[in-house]
Amino acid sequence: MSTRISLDGVDKTFTNRRTGERQQIFRDFSLTLAPDELVAVVGGSGTGKTTLMHLIAGLERPDRGTVSTGGTRPRLGMVFQQPRLLDWTSVETNVRLAATAAGIDTTEVAPILDAVGLTEYARSYPSVLSGGQRQRVAVARAFVVRPEVLLLDEPFSALDELTARRLRLLLQQLWLRTPRTGLLVTHNALEAAFLADRVVVLGGRPAEVVGEYRIDRPRPRSPEDPELFDVHRRIVAALT
Amino acid sequence: MTVTHPVGAEEVVLGGGRSPAPPDRPPATGTAARLTRPLPALLLVGLLAAGWQLMAHTSDSALIPGLGDIARNLADITTSGALGENVRVTLTRVTLGFAAAFVVSVAAGIAMGRSEWLRRFLEPAVLIGLATPGLVKALLCVIWFGVSLVNPVLTVALAAAPALTINIAQGVRAVDPALGEMAHVYRLDALTRLRYLWLPAIVPDLFTGARLGIAMAWKVIVLVEIFGLADGVGYQLNLEFSQHNVAGVLAWTVAFALVMAAIEYGLLQTLERRAVRWRRVALR
Ligand SMILES: Nc1ncnc2c1ncn2[C@@H]1O[C@H](COP(=O)(O)OP(=O)(O)O)[C@@H](O)[C@H]1O
Ligand SMILES: [Mg+2]
Repeated sequence: MSTRISLDGVDKTFTNRRTGERQQIFRDFSLTLAPDELVAVVGGSGTGKTTLMHLIAGLERPDRGTVSTGGTRPRLGMVFQQPRLLDWTSVETNVRLAATAAGIDTTEVAPILDAVGLTEYARSYPSVLSGGQRQRVAVARAFVVRPEVLLLDEPFSALDELTARRLRLLLQQLWLRTPRTGLLVTHNALEAAFLADRVVVLGGRPAEVVGEYRIDRPRPRSPEDPELFDVHRRIVAALT
Repeated sequence: MTVTHPVGAEEVVLGGGRSPAPPDRPPATGTAARLTRPLPALLLVGLLAAGWQLMAHTSDSALIPGLGDIARNLADITTSGALGENVRVTLTRVTLGFAAAFVVSVAAGIAMGRSEWLRRFLEPAVLIGLATPGLVKALLCVIWFGVSLVNPVLTVALAAAPALTINIAQGVRAVDPALGEMAHVYRLDALTRLRYLWLPAIVPDLFTGARLGIAMAWKVIVLVEIFGLADGVGYQLNLEFSQHNVAGVLAWTVAFALVMAAIEYGLLQTLERRAVRWRRVALR
């Protein structure tokens, strides 16, 4: 049930509603995510990373070209750049609704909440949580559905370093247990190197792949692995 | 929605849903506070009654019956059971009609709020519905459906639905589209979206719409009962009128107004207060 994702010759242009100004984000853009491959995308803000993710999720349509997820609509777990929680209901329910819709038993909600460190907030409304805690609810929601495709849009950037570290390890565990196809957008080149099988650096307008690094280190990886720092240096060099 | 003023004959305030909440004053608690709060309203009622009595006394005309006369009529219809029975009949019709309007309006309002195309498609119907006087709706329903239950229920529904729909549509349009995307990605079903996404988000607009809708409903139910039905408060009003019993007309009017006030203040405002409090807790 592994999913191959491929974008083929994709054009995408946005028209600014107010100014009427058109900006072409992608022109003849192609990218393939192999089955069970975790690809990290790094690049300056406004490059089109979120747009790329929304194209894969089916939230945006390409003007030209194709976005394919292998014929079927895979089950998605997605962490948006903002948590996008239902504010009128509890943390637990936010996670449970996604689980139920995905046909996942609700007994799996509590362990996930525990894994993201939110057990004591299970019955709280999202509004009492800090920004980082809200983002953790979104992470729990994405993980609980046992996604076939996991899309993470800067999932850890709003978190304090300690929590971010914990969740990166959680993400790695997830891949150790059941690999799946995933796209991780991040500003953090080290995070990209630590987690991904391949790091893609996007740049320019329209966006192009300006650097690509395969990371063949076996999991579990250590965040202190000197090899990763080496990749990190090269990514940063490509970014600048 | 581009509509800010109704074209119709009836006084509708649109888009009150987003009006700022009254500032949180320290809540008046304790029995003393609870007893003194309705005092201004009671004072007004007292003054009006006194003025009326004075007018009745000085004019000494059968067209302006005194308070005692009205009270006697009120006591008569209460003890004979006519009041209870007819209020029950009328309220049943209003409830059914309002329930129908509610279901249709939630569906139409959410559709209009989410789809620009559907908004353009349905908006004329809603505007016509708003602009058409309740009297016309009542007359047409009487002509088409006669004495069947469909008649009052449809009239009430037609009267209440436009204001309700417009307010719901406006509430839905204000909902963050990002949440809709989230619901799409996680494939939340329609019922879950309704219960956890749309309904909670539109609570204030829903109540604004419901209040306007019910105000319209009161007006048309009496009309439709006057024209086409053989019971209900409107019918009784007409009966007293045809017998030139002004005190009787006033007695029914007072009784009906009391029932409306009880529903407005007792039911709707209590529900709204609870819903708003829950929202505030959730959004703290
Ligand atoms: N729905 C939209 N309408 C108009 N412009 C958009 C829309 N979405 C994104 N853009 C524009 O496209 C560019 C890329 O956006 P985005 O993909 O969010 O960048 P990134 O995630 O890399 O920071 C930005 O300039 C942004 O303003
Ligand atoms: Mg982005």
